[in-house]
Amino acid sequence: MRSKNFVLFLFVSILSVLIVSPTLFAQVKEVKIGVILPLSGALAPIGKSLKEGAELAADIVNKKYPEIDIPIAKWEGIPNLGGAKIKLIFADSRGDPGWGADQAKRLIEDEKVIGLLGAYQSSVTKTASVEAERAGIPFINPDSTSPALSKRGFKWFWRVTPHETWFTADLFDLLDGLVKGKAPGVGPVPKEKINTLAVAAENTEWGAASLAEIEKFAAERGYKIVEAIKYPHKAADLTSETRRMIVSKAGCFLFAPYVADAILFVKTMKEMKAAPLFIWGQNAGFIEADFYKTLGADVNGILTRDLFSPELAKVKPVAGQLNAMYRKMTGYDFSGSSARDFVGVQVWAHVLNNAGSTSPEALRKALNELFIPPEQLIMPWKGVKFGSPFSGDTQQNELGSGVINQYQGYPDGKLHIIYPFEFATSKLIYPFPGWK
Amino acid sequence: MELAVQLITYGLLMGFIFAFIALGLALIFGVMNIVNFAHGEFLMIGMYVALLISSYLPFDPLFSLPMAAVVGFLLGTVSYRYLVQYILRGPMVAQLFGTFGLMLFLRYLFMLIFGPDVRSIKQGILVGKTLSLGWVRLDVSKIVSAGLCLLLFAFVYWMINRTKLGRALKATSIDAEAARYMGIDTEKMNTLAWGVGGATVGIAGGLLAHFYYITPTIGMLFILIAFATVALGGFGSILGTFIAGLIIGLIQVVGGHYLSELKFTFVYIAYFLAVVLRPRGFFGW
Repeated sequence: MRSKNFVLFLFVSILSVLIVSPTLFAQVKEVKIGVILPLSGALAPIGKSLKEGAELAADIVNKKYPEIDIPIAKWEGIPNLGGAKIKLIFADSRGDPGWGADQAKRLIEDEKVIGLLGAYQSSVTKTASVEAERAGIPFINPDSTSPALSKRGFKWFWRVTPHETWFTADLFDLLDGLVKGKAPGVGPVPKEKINTLAVAAENTEWGAASLAEIEKFAAERGYKIVEAIKYPHKAADLTSETRRMIVSKAGCFLFAPYVADAILFVKTMKEMKAAPLFIWGQNAGFIEADFYKTLGADVNGILTRDLFSPELAKVKPVAGQLNAMYRKMTGYDFSGSSARDFVGVQVWAHVLNNAGSTSPEALRKALNELFIPPEQLIMPWKGVKFGSPFSGDTQQNELGSGVINQYQGYPDGKLHIIYPFEFATSKLIYPFPGWK
Repeated sequence: MELAVQLITYGLLMGFIFAFIALGLALIFGVMNIVNFAHGEFLMIGMYVALLISSYLPFDPLFSLPMAAVVGFLLGTVSYRYLVQYILRGPMVAQLFGTFGLMLFLRYLFMLIFGPDVRSIKQGILVGKTLSLGWVRLDVSKIVSAGLCLLLFAFVYWMINRTKLGRALKATSIDAEAARYMGIDTEKMNTLAWGVGGATVGIAGGLLAHFYYITPTIGMLFILIAFATVALGGFGSILGTFIAGLIIGLIQVVGGHYLSELKFTFVYIAYFLAVVLRPRGFFGW
């Protein structure tokens, strides 16, 4: 009788434990990742495309797409977490560093996310990642390029994208190549024609960092900055800035604005009939769909450093497949920014799978040991592996690289890869043809 | 010399545009003592009217100006009749938040309909045309804007100071109660001020769309400058707004030439000095 009672007691105990805490034995059904992006305000157009890039990646992880030749497309959830689905919880940073940090806090405390992704603007990433650092959960940054971000020695911050130091090096490699006659379809250009630079950068953290990098490389490679302008971003008028660049008679005009200012600069240059030999934009505003859709044929001949081009499909079939899906979903091609947010979610998926757990320490270990080979990426990178590529960098992807594209044949044209010269998909249009 | 001519020309041209945008705000404030935070959104709607007409109808965007004026007028009168009239009965805070709410409503309504995308008008008689005059190259649509700005200022100035209707408006702005005793229908005057204010900023939007990009948040860029313009010129003064617009245009272009980063700081310093040294502005009463 006593033993019967004991068995009954054991049975009831086990049953009660099962009823009271079903989660103890249940599989993790979904993994919440907080995504902070500028979804309203002046950067809303970019924010929207980034969100779509992240959503497409989550969809590919969560459903089965056997025709796409990358592992995450065959998973249907995270295999080592029992097929748990990735759930992205979006928060609007409004482009404001203070608000972005508040959103990070909200996602961590209220939404109980296991980690964060974002936040595009370096200034917002800077503050939002502090919240992740405090809470001790991973912040994966696929899309901010201020070099300082990965030099803070943070324990919980990993950056997937290459930063400004790479991109500025690419620009000067292209200019040096132009002098040496390496640029596709253009003979050697006398250095004195293009060694004068006029730079306009917006007065945000990203703009200031871009300008500082350009100044550093110009000094190292023997180029002269004849005009350097830090202008207030979201300006109602850029007449005096454009005028200063024109009268500087610089051979190369270099820009670091977001999209609204980029459009205004091109419109004002056209109005004033500026005639530089070379126009280059530091990504951001110069690669967004709104830039070429708004300006149409006026973008032809403009170069922009980037990380992606639909033309990559010619050398990377997976880039073509995924871009076709993105195009079907949104009506436009991946930009370097939206493609990087796709990769951000892809990194999260691999990390979760490798860790086989959502505990911060397991995720941290998986991040530091991660390697994604180049053939699985839509970017023209050698892979994803975190290390210290430049002095002071920590937990920074060391296998990234950039491309420099040129707008050709718009409004119905393409962004052609010009640099690296070995991946060039068209001849360089040089000098800049001017505006009709 | 070349520098001076260029800076003054570009500065004045931008000044005309700032003054143009601020005209409606000055009118509404002058008559009713109420700050219309949604003024930038009225401008944005004027821009979308031009965009829609040039995109979907076989007309040049220039022909959208009368339509932008009509839409602006309706927007002004409807806003007054169905919102402002009621919030005026509340405390000052209600007035501030009322038009602030209208601003948010209109901005995000357009965001909902058109998305956050940046657009622009690509074709039109004036679009992309430039004129070379000695040392300066000017966008023809900016010159037309400046001309129309002058005309509208002259018209509003004449209307306020020389017509019976204008005198009634002015009387309402100085002392609404006394005006009512004199038989002036002050409600009608208020509606009219909102209507004309809306119409002028609608036209400014239609013209701005010729050379500027269009997005639902565009009002933000111009509203602060418009406030500074009206404050500097003297609340309610048409002539003051015009002169202040030109001064602000000059400050931000000349300031932008020497210290781009701080160009709007110079504008707001001028605004601050005006508030401290001469709170009623240049010509305010």
